[in-house]
Amino acid sequence: MKRGLITWDRAELPPSVFEARLVRARAALATQDLPALLVYSDVWRSTEGRHLTNYMPYWNRSLIIIPRQQAPVLLCGLSPRVYPWIKSVTIFEEIRPASKLVPTLLQLCAERGWTKLGVLDLPRLTHEVFVPLEASSVKTFDVRLDLTDDAEIAMRRHAEQLAREILTVELPKGVELTDYQFSGLLERAFRRAGAEDLILLFSTGGAAPRPACGAILGEKYSVSVALEYRGHWARVTQGWPS
Amino acid sequence: MAERGWDSILLYGNAWRKDPFRSLVNINFSGDHALAGLSRSGEICVTFSDPWDAEIASGKLEPDFVRAFAGGPSAGIVAIGGLEFMEERFVAACGKLPVSATADVEELRRVKTVEEIGYIQQACDLADRGYQRFVEVAEPGMREFELVAEVEAFLKENGAEDNFMLIASGGTEVVGMKPPTDRKFQEGDSVTTELTPQVNGYYAQICRTLVLGEPSPGQLKAFDIFFEAQNAAQDLIKPGITAADAARAQNDVFRKHGYGDYTGAKYTRVRGHCLGLYPDETPHILEDVDYVLKQDMVVIAHPNTYLPLSGYMVFGDTLLITETGNTRLNKTEKKLFVK
Repeated sequence: MKRGLITWDRAELPPSVFEARLVRARAALATQDLPALLVYSDVWRSTEGRHLTNYMPYWNRSLIIIPRQQAPVLLCGLSPRVYPWIKSVTIFEEIRPASKLVPTLLQLCAERGWTKLGVLDLPRLTHEVFVPLEASSVKTFDVRLDLTDDAEIAMRRHAEQLAREILTVELPKGVELTDYQFSGLLERAFRRAGAEDLILLFSTGGAAPRPACGAILGEKYSVSVALEYRGHWARVTQGWPS
Repeated sequence: MAERGWDSILLYGNAWRKDPFRSLVNINFSGDHALAGLSRSGEICVTFSDPWDAEIASGKLEPDFVRAFAGGPSAGIVAIGGLEFMEERFVAACGKLPVSATADVEELRRVKTVEEIGYIQQACDLADRGYQRFVEVAEPGMREFELVAEVEAFLKENGAEDNFMLIASGGTEVVGMKPPTDRKFQEGDSVTTELTPQVNGYYAQICRTLVLGEPSPGQLKAFDIFFEAQNAAQDLIKPGITAADAARAQNDVFRKHGYGDYTGAKYTRVRGHCLGLYPDETPHILEDVDYVLKQDMVVIAHPNTYLPLSGYMVFGDTLLITETGNTRLNKTEKKLFVK
């Protein structure tokens, strides 16, 4: 679950980065003569939406709409009570409540006169969104985007560096602890350093890395850390003794 | 399966919605996808997208997970629990459109076994201890995300697999909870949290409000209303009543005190929900949900909402529905916490 610090540091990722990304997305739409792009986003599938808008649904699902000519719109399953916070950490100015995602999307399409829609990675759209959308009068087209740019690489590099630095300091402290105890120690260090999410796997050498299960780590072990820092994941595995 | 005419059931899980998969094969996989297949003869096979999961669970590995569906049962009716959460390319790989088993599987999951109740009790005990930790470490000057880091560390140290947690802090300007920000706690703040640790796959929840410093008359008055509302639900919940009854019992207390306007969607979400392998299981406790509650279901009744007296406030406990009523599984004192 996402329960770390979700924020937008504009010095780290300036608005111009997102503007450039939207330009690229709109260029892809222009190539296929499409009026708007749909990006599905949920707690787990948040990378693409985060890249384009800095939006991370800490809970629930959302649809991100990037029109070719107008500002992006968020169709959001979360309560309007958290919209001010969402606006403070994303590029969105317009958020629409959408307890039912597809009907809200179709209403937006009708308002804007869209009869077709690009969908980012259409085959990966979730079934519950895909089915009613395909049954509607709006035709969908698969759109692929290259989500790599210098800012993305820099953020991932930062996440990887953060993971390495913390592991280097904390790894020796796991000797003779249980993996539960060591998980706690690592959670504290990573979350205090701003990790949004964290997946920790442990191995003492006899089997593949696995989630903590109460086993004693002994004197030799390895830890695999998948760290999400401001929407950017990095995985680092280190062993002790190094 | 026999009743529905299904020849096989597939239970799909992904990194967010592991619960359909774990309802049959309770393995905490760490990769992107997992699939459990159950035949009418009772054979179970599991497939993972991540090699480490496959090795630990002695399951089949399909890094290209489309193949997990393409190689599935070809004859008869295939029903899938978690179909709605699947990527369309997986559904397409099934060939003939599968039937959704999600609602039927969720109904089966609602009534808990003795073993499941045991896990939920463990999760409740951890929620109680986690909340104790929350109160111990919260102090003016601390940032919201630092408090969450401390609580998260405590829960993991004590065996939680995961934890769903929301938080808010401040006064009457606070209208809801969200992930932690870098706001520093101040004297007089209401610090609210939903704490939901997961043990052996099963979630339990506690909701409490902590006031840093002397509570204001508004905070005290608001808490009295929340206390009365939560107790109204706890006194009522038993087999045979509906989710709507449990919601109405709470909302009627707010109405009696002149705050009925704050029981709707503008200010709140639900008056509770079920708990299990997912932290927000249905049925939700809402006045328009006519689901009849059953023995051995586990629910939380929480009249969490915004009130102009106090800002957003939370208060709730996990309840096990027994033959004649319910048992509160949390042991944390039912009070407005003050520090």
